[in-house]
Amino acid sequence: MRAYFKFEFIQFLFNKKNIAIYVILLFLACFYALKIAPSYDPIEKVDRDEIEARFLTREDFLNNVVIDENSYPLTRFAAAIYPEWNEYDKQRLDALDSNRLREYAGSTYKWYEYSDYMIFRNGNGLLYYNPRYYTAGNLYATEDGHYAYMYSASRYKGYAQGDSELSMDVFEERTALQTLQRLLHGYLPIILLVCCILFTADIVLKDKRNLTVIKGFPISVWRRLVVKGGVALIGSSLTIIPLSIGFIIVAIQHGMGDLNLPVPIFSYEARAFTTITMGEYLFQNVLLMLFWFLLLISLLLLLSIQIRHEFANLVLGCVVVFAEFYYYVRGLGFVKEIQWYPSSYVQVGQIVAGYREYLNNSASLTFENGIAVMSVCTAIILLVTLIISKTKRFKYL
Amino acid sequence: MWKLLKNDFLIERTNKKNMIACLIVAIFVFGFFSYTKIENSQRLIDEKASEYQSVASALTKFQTADAMDYGNGSDLYYNLLQQQRYVVNQSMAMKVDRPQLYLESGIKLAELRANAFDMEGYEKVATNLPSRTENQLDSLFYQFMDRTGMVVTQDALSFFPFLLDLFMVLGSFWFIFMSIFSCGILIEEFHHTSLIKGYPVSFDKYVLAKCASSMFWVGILIAEIFICSLPFIYFYGLGDANYPVAIFDGNFKVIPTIEYIGIALVYIILISIFTVLLSVILNVLLKNMYLTLFVQLLLFIAPSLFPSLVSLVPFNPFNYMNFTNLLNGHSLELAEPVELEMLHGLIYIGISTVLMLIGVKLFFTTGKLKKV
Repeated sequence: MRAYFKFEFIQFLFNKKNIAIYVILLFLACFYALKIAPSYDPIEKVDRDEIEARFLTREDFLNNVVIDENSYPLTRFAAAIYPEWNEYDKQRLDALDSNRLREYAGSTYKWYEYSDYMIFRNGNGLLYYNPRYYTAGNLYATEDGHYAYMYSASRYKGYAQGDSELSMDVFEERTALQTLQRLLHGYLPIILLVCCILFTADIVLKDKRNLTVIKGFPISVWRRLVVKGGVALIGSSLTIIPLSIGFIIVAIQHGMGDLNLPVPIFSYEARAFTTITMGEYLFQNVLLMLFWFLLLISLLLLLSIQIRHEFANLVLGCVVVFAEFYYYVRGLGFVKEIQWYPSSYVQVGQIVAGYREYLNNSASLTFENGIAVMSVCTAIILLVTLIISKTKRFKYL
Repeated sequence: MWKLLKNDFLIERTNKKNMIACLIVAIFVFGFFSYTKIENSQRLIDEKASEYQSVASALTKFQTADAMDYGNGSDLYYNLLQQQRYVVNQSMAMKVDRPQLYLESGIKLAELRANAFDMEGYEKVATNLPSRTENQLDSLFYQFMDRTGMVVTQDALSFFPFLLDLFMVLGSFWFIFMSIFSCGILIEEFHHTSLIKGYPVSFDKYVLAKCASSMFWVGILIAEIFICSLPFIYFYGLGDANYPVAIFDGNFKVIPTIEYIGIALVYIILISIFTVLLSVILNVLLKNMYLTLFVQLLLFIAPSLFPSLVSLVPFNPFNYMNFTNLLNGHSLELAEPVELEMLHGLIYIGISTVLMLIGVKLFFTTGKLKKV
């Protein structure tokens, strides 16, 4: 079996297609690190001018306003909520001026918490989140702002209480580890899954070309499939190598970050954030990714011995990965049991961070459920493959 | 030649790839239906609600709160205030079912927006408002509806509106689908070179026959899209085939739904021919199905990765492969705006198809086929 593994692995590594995938990934990683990452413009950035402008206007208002029984209700409202708000802004400004970053983190945490409370609970139609959430055509701008403010509050709380080294890059999530976190939250998982499909699509069917030679090997079909699956899994995991080049470039530009940095995790049941460390976050992501690889590989192995066409492998694999786009509507989890579909867990980073729970209004789209659903699916598919490959009438390709 | 074609059809008839493609297209159509059904029951009202929020938050960027005529607000501030009013009007008009009011407010809103673009300090609210192109398209749509007295509808499920949405989505990734479909078109032949060399026809004829049979299947797929959508006539009615759509084809103009579908079909067919021929050429050059696919996809995304390429090489046929963006006037909003015209796209894709055909005829012989 070991010799066969070696044989398969070498074939895998020297396959033109696989080399091309690694090269393309390398190109994309470098393109991202050199062109896209530097132009990242977060909405929640550290902007002294913005804080100061808001602070001065409100301070001016508070100094001049006279509240008596004739005051307009909105004026009273403003005079009631601005003092505390301004206090936090003042603390932020002072901390920035004297470069006390941990203190800045502490007051920013309070600022976000207070702002979110005011805007979301009391500010309907009067107070707004950062205007950049209200882009033309965004139907859920308030919800986006609410999530982002809660997220930022939790993040800054973590910075203030933790002992990681802080910097502007950390605050704006630009360091290499945080960039990775943002990517996992975005489209990186889908890219990796598509790569996995491409790696696995021909791993069985290439044997068609030299069937007589392959059939002579003294190894059973089931074992052969297991070895091929293992090779595909290792190959898919090796995509880390080209991606790490991009990672290193970002690390040189903005610093590496710290595995103890806090990552906010949303829990739908508590409607609140807790934080875990970056290391834990990445570990959970990697675990979920590995389960995804296993699911896709076992599915494609089954398709390979049943339908026996690469086009089917490619397209049906993609259907599984992209199925969520079909049924995904915000808040759907509230009415439909989408936590039973494996395709609901494609956005690995968002699952771990709890963002999917927030989007779907569902408490069930958790990391643990994802692992459970995916391992059950994988087990069923592998079992079917095993049974098929052991039946007497089965012919390998 | 005819015998060859017949031979190809016989082979393709049992090809699993074609069956799977048919299955996928059917899944796509029905899936898209369920998506439309949950998503868009009240799309105009939802749109207006979000527009209201956007304008309101744009207003928060102004320090002044004095909205009176003799107040100290800037022109843009007043403009935005009026916009907000018309957005509310439109939203209410939709809710109480007064389409005429919706159109009138829409026309005024579009006018206000058109004026706002040149006002001082517009950059700081630009992301909250529709772009110039979008506004132009909206404005044309409202004016056309007003002039002809047609009634605004939110219906997206009957036959024609559904097909329109479907083709708009297809426009974005038909090229990708076709490249996956056709990337292995000649690979089988490389495995049986002796068989191919034995055919009593020249290689270019053989390739042409192969392309023709592929295109026949593409035709079946397109027909399938229409056939799968037929049940909607029974459930939701035919819809209005003349309902207007505003597009940019060099000029801003309004065309009926049926014409849009027609343009989409012409583009889809041309893109299919283009992709099949490109696959043939890349197959012979690279001798690998996946490398062919990767090269095609890279060419497809190159204009999005490097937007300056579009203005540099406007005759690149890949600028036109995403015809939904093309008809939306997407190219006008790039950092370096270019006017990509619909007709030019057809011409450039057509010319490159002819060039590829000539290339196949002149350079490709069976001698190129070596066992891989």
